[in-house]
Amino acid sequence: MQLPPVPISRRRWLALAGVSPSVLKAAQTVPEKPLLFTGKRPMLVHNDYPEDLESPPEYFDTWITPNDAFFVRQHLPRPRVSADSYRLEIGGMVTRKVVLTLDDLKKMPRHRVPATLECAGNGRSYYRPKLPGLQWTKGAIGNAEWAGPRLKDVLEKAGVPQAAAFADFDGADTGVGQTPDFVRSIPMRKIVDEATIVALEMNGEPLPDLHGYPARLIVPGWDGASWVKWLSRITLSDKPDGGFYMNPAYRMPKHPVAPGTAAQPEDLEILEGMAVKSFFTRPADRDKVPAGGAILGGVAWAGEHRVLRVDLSTDGGSRWQPAEMGREDYRFSWRTWRFAWKPSRPGFHILCCRAADSAGRTQPIEPAWNPSGYLWNGIERIGLTVEGS
Amino acid sequence: MIVGDLLVALLLAAADPAVIEKGKAEEKRSCLPCHGLRIIHGQRLPRPTWERELDKMVRWGAVIKEREALLEYLVENFGHDKLTPPLPLSEDARKK
Repeated sequence: MQLPPVPISRRRWLALAGVSPSVLKAAQTVPEKPLLFTGKRPMLVHNDYPEDLESPPEYFDTWITPNDAFFVRQHLPRPRVSADSYRLEIGGMVTRKVVLTLDDLKKMPRHRVPATLECAGNGRSYYRPKLPGLQWTKGAIGNAEWAGPRLKDVLEKAGVPQAAAFADFDGADTGVGQTPDFVRSIPMRKIVDEATIVALEMNGEPLPDLHGYPARLIVPGWDGASWVKWLSRITLSDKPDGGFYMNPAYRMPKHPVAPGTAAQPEDLEILEGMAVKSFFTRPADRDKVPAGGAILGGVAWAGEHRVLRVDLSTDGGSRWQPAEMGREDYRFSWRTWRFAWKPSRPGFHILCCRAADSAGRTQPIEPAWNPSGYLWNGIERIGLTVEGS
Repeated sequence: MIVGDLLVALLLAAADPAVIEKGKAEEKRSCLPCHGLRIIHGQRLPRPTWERELDKMVRWGAVIKEREALLEYLVENFGHDKLTPPLPLSEDARKK
């Protein structure tokens, strides 16, 4: 089994000789429209319509990821929702159907929840064989403080009978052509969690349009797909929704399959909590470091569990030493870490980071290949060159 | 012998610039109504996977008239053996 490849940097790629003319020709087919996304810093663009934007890792230099640096994933074109016209309908197996306005939600007790949001497919580009889907590298992740009423309090307005086991969540976005609508279901045990909220704010501001204005679901520790944006309808049910985005999408094989092979539909289960992982945020892969050393930094998170430690190797994984953990330590949020590296010699070094969590999980060298390319959490390696003294 | 000739014919067809151009035009015509092309161009997939992606898009409402040309274009430019260029960075669009 091979280590995941060290990512090729932009500079190195451009320096590579023998770029296939067909690739260059293909690049020229992209219409040259300016890539501008309201309120965002320069982002890595996977798609412009709908918007799929990745954060470069150097934006993760703070525990909170600012709204202007936060990644964006849209399955369907973004709807325009105004505060006045916004309605949240709650129906299905409820005691009474209700329709709430934005003011109704704002009047409810407000709870603040710091939580890390990560796309299930973050890191998909590292899997071999390659998989269809967005080719995320590291940055389909971010940590924000979300605020709004608890989901269970919102549902209480409609009344929740014992028989209701799931709720289906639908946003104001709709499919183009026969594209399926984006609907996600969550079981009652997660609905009643006190950290599961309907967020109206992100880092102290109203949710930006790109992040689901005016209301989105926050499902801490679970894959980003569960965090439905532009939330407009909740339907209580005795079983999960049967649409595309619950089956076959966002499912994992119960047992790993051989790379490149299909899983039987009955062997797939709904993806819920995220994996334990860590990565470097500085320096960047292939950077030069002074002979005196450098502060290495990064983040680590573990879905619904707590990160207990991050270990660093500066010799390609032979020996490991603990990193110093940042002081913010909240369930559902990533932790920052740092490591003061004093290199023993000049020249090229391979550095690795590896997180372990409260559930006894430790990052693998490489996660099990799966047919949708979810939950990449392989040990990251970067290459740094120490300049001669 | 016939199989061999067929293979040669297929290989020639794959390299035919006219077919590739037709596929490129078909991509614009059949894909752009619903989504940008960057999500396609960022992927590197073998032919059978591109075929499955086309099947999925047809199920989701895409009207593909030149399927073979589109497939050849995708395999020629975005096959699993092609290099992936770096992602473009958007412009700074923060409120000043």
